[in-house]
Amino acid sequence: MISLQHFLFIAAVLFCLGIYAVITRKNAIQVLIGIELMINASILNLVAFAKYDVINNNGQLFALFVIVLAAASVAVGLVIILNFFKRVKTIDPNKANSLRG
Amino acid sequence: MVEQIVFYVFAAIAILSGVYVVASQNLVRSVFMFFVTLLSVAGLYVFALADFVALTQIVIYVGGVLVMLLFVFMLSSKDSLDNIVNLKKEALSANRIPATIITIALLVILIYAILLADFEQLDWIKSNKLLIEKAQTSNVHNIGVNIMGRFLLPFELISILLMMTLVGAAHLARKEPNND
Amino acid sequence: MDSIINISNQMVLILAFLLICAPLLSFFFSLIFKRFASSIAITSISTSFIAAIILFIKVWFSKTLHFSIPWIAFNNFDIRLGFLFNDLTVLMLLLITLIALLVHIYSVEYIRKDKLKPRYFAYLSLFCFSMLSLVLADNLFLIYIFWELVGFSSYLLIGFWFTKEKAVLANKKAFIMNRLGDLGFLIGIMIMLSHFHTLDIDALFGSGNLIASSFTTNGMWVSPFNMMPDYWLTIAGLCFFAGAAAKSAQFPLHTWLPDAMEGPTAVSSLIHAATMVAAGVFLLVRIAPLFNETVLIIIASIGVFTAFMAATIALTQNDIKRVLAFSTISQLGFMMLAIGVGDEASAIFHLVTHAFFKCLLFLGAGIIIHELHHLKEKHQLQFDEQDMTFMGGLFKSMPITAIVFIIAAMALSGLPFTSGYLSKDAILISVFEWADVKGGIFWIFPIIVSLTSWLTTFYIFRVIFKVFFGDFRLPQLLEADHHQFKIHEANAWLKYPVMVLAVFCMAFVFSYQPFSLEASWLFNELAPQQHVGGIYHILVPIYINILSLGLLLITYLAYARNKFSFGLEQTWIFKLSYKQWYFNEIYDAAIVKPTLLKAKAYYWFDKNVIDGLVNSSATAIIHISSLANWFDVYIIDGLVNGVASVVERLNIWFRNVQNGKVQHYIIWMLLIMITFFIYLMIF
Repeated sequence: MISLQHFLFIAAVLFCLGIYAVITRKNAIQVLIGIELMINASILNLVAFAKYDVINNNGQLFALFVIVLAAASVAVGLVIILNFFKRVKTIDPNKANSLRG
Repeated sequence: MVEQIVFYVFAAIAILSGVYVVASQNLVRSVFMFFVTLLSVAGLYVFALADFVALTQIVIYVGGVLVMLLFVFMLSSKDSLDNIVNLKKEALSANRIPATIITIALLVILIYAILLADFEQLDWIKSNKLLIEKAQTSNVHNIGVNIMGRFLLPFELISILLMMTLVGAAHLARKEPNND
Repeated sequence: MDSIINISNQMVLILAFLLICAPLLSFFFSLIFKRFASSIAITSISTSFIAAIILFIKVWFSKTLHFSIPWIAFNNFDIRLGFLFNDLTVLMLLLITLIALLVHIYSVEYIRKDKLKPRYFAYLSLFCFSMLSLVLADNLFLIYIFWELVGFSSYLLIGFWFTKEKAVLANKKAFIMNRLGDLGFLIGIMIMLSHFHTLDIDALFGSGNLIASSFTTNGMWVSPFNMMPDYWLTIAGLCFFAGAAAKSAQFPLHTWLPDAMEGPTAVSSLIHAATMVAAGVFLLVRIAPLFNETVLIIIASIGVFTAFMAATIALTQNDIKRVLAFSTISQLGFMMLAIGVGDEASAIFHLVTHAFFKCLLFLGAGIIIHELHHLKEKHQLQFDEQDMTFMGGLFKSMPITAIVFIIAAMALSGLPFTSGYLSKDAILISVFEWADVKGGIFWIFPIIVSLTSWLTTFYIFRVIFKVFFGDFRLPQLLEADHHQFKIHEANAWLKYPVMVLAVFCMAFVFSYQPFSLEASWLFNELAPQQHVGGIYHILVPIYINILSLGLLLITYLAYARNKFSFGLEQTWIFKLSYKQWYFNEIYDAAIVKPTLLKAKAYYWFDKNVIDGLVNSSATAIIHISSLANWFDVYIIDGLVNGVASVVERLNIWFRNVQNGKVQHYIIWMLLIMITFFIYLMIF
């Protein structure tokens, strides 16, 4: 029987890795990957807690919905990156600063 | 015992591959290593008794998201590949140190919070621990019932959302004739 | 007389205005229309002269006329503007305008080549205006105003050749000396004002006769308005006399007059012989009733001393104008003496006759100087054209000048058939009679006066014999050819005025009987009661004139024939005389030097103490201000700049927050989140 906390630790590590990727990467695709890592970490949390919700399985259902939404967001995000690339000829997210104050 | 070893192996793979994904300068390798991360995370789901979610993870992420990522990468890769040398020089320089500090700080906080919360001692977890030992069966049936029952409205909304996403993405991605 | 020229009082007023306004207008127009300056000036003074004749005929032998309007009103008195016509006024008007007219005509030639001719005539007109106004003024305040104006125009004319340093020094000296006297005059006016509450001459000394109604009793001087200790009466008299002494060049304020000879000779003759210096005498005669016994004796003493002193100085001077200047001082001393002995009529009579002959002497000297100046310029010579040692034998080259000069000299000496005989003897007789009444020590006055009279004869004939007789010494002294230097007779502009003046030096102008003073029309009108006759009227002229003629002979032998010389050149008497009794040196040592020393001391005090104080306070302030500056720069500005730079740094730093980079926003977001978590964990 694996302890709940182990799942949570792993999820935390993954989440932090995602954040690191989002902050540091100069490539929008990698930023998107970072976001996906974070989403996965949260799904892992949902699933880990769902383990103890035997009757309703609410956690797993939420995890499913989250996966679907993440897929949708990735689709939209990638399309945005594509458009951004078409316009600016780069996918560095920091170059998207034409609205800077 | 075997179960635990396998779990930690999966966990280690997930974390190490995640680190590689994050740290790698090469986008292609990063993307493929993310594939490994997703698979190992899916493996972790199984240990949490979520077979259906693990499958869905593999199907959607590995089958859909990653393919999409690769497509986009290929569409914009020419510049990225050209700029790899330049990227190497400046890629991480700007935010690496604050990012590392913040990340580690956040990790410490999260772990501290997890330890502080001590979820094992929650009542509903305690009471359900015994149930888990008995019900070692698949819960796919239960999920199906719930989706079509209590979660029917969110399920339909999700489907509409997906539809909108599909249409919107397709619309955004099309080539504009007057685009410069 | 009214029947001859029947003019109303209004007419008199208009004429009086015409009389004084003509020179005033001339003053302005001469400066505006420079080409016609001389014509304008002569026209104006002729107008004045004609007006003066008419006024003279109107007023002489008739009652006093007085016009006045209020000018400045005070609580219990007012100062009025007005004219006062009496015998004295019209006589002075006639005298001034006549002499001024002749001098104007003379000046046309004399000043012809000067570039500043318009200015010269403007100044002359200004002088005439102020002098005539002074004579006409009906109260002491107005007299004071024009008194000052006369002094000022005299200042301008003495310094007319303002590029000569001596002229500038001379006019400064004259002005300062006159100011000293004017101070006395002003104090006198204030005493009168406080005592009688009026300055009107008619009210004080004429019909109102406030002076007569005031009296001294128990050591107090009482007037209808006021009462004060009686020494104030003496002080008032002395103050007025001080003013008159400065104007008339009496000891001890006489030293300016010889120096005033730096002005043009025509100016010297008009101002410093005939008119301005007479203003002092005129003033004293106007206010004569004021003087008490003490003041009169002081006036007489100073008059006789000045007369004697100036005569002795005139003996040895070589500058022809200087001799005449000291002669003027001496003759003014005679007039003062006459006032002092209470014989104002003689003083005025002598003033009139003296004005003519002294003016003539100056103009004659001016002709000689003028001709010698031409000679000097023609031959590029270097000599002093006023120095008598260069002259001699000029009778042959300029006989008319010589004759009129000799007539004037005779008048000055008081020889018979001249006007001087009448007026001078009038004074001498008065002095003898006065001494006879007083007795004792007062006999010294007639003795000194007689002596002075002989000295006068001596020094003026010394001039004549040195200048007109003997040989022309200039060629010898300059070792040049005798025939090169031709002295010509003066031309008409110079000649005719002096000839007219010569006529007025004759006795018959003033008296049908040239030996009889009592027959003089002028004298009879001014002093009808006096001089009824007496032993002195016969004795004094005789003994004075016999000795004068003797002296004349000695002078002739000594200076024209060079038979002998007095051999006094090395004695202290000669030096005393030659150095003008060392008055200039004494004043220099006693007043000028101490004043300069005091000024230097004050200068030192100013420089070192006051300036030192000022400078040190300035330095202190500079130090304080630099401290304040430091405080400002480093504390105040430092604070401000520090705040500013902190804000700037913060700004730069915070600006980086909003740098448009998505990942930075995320960093910030996380940072705040972590901070929040840490906050939660700790508290």
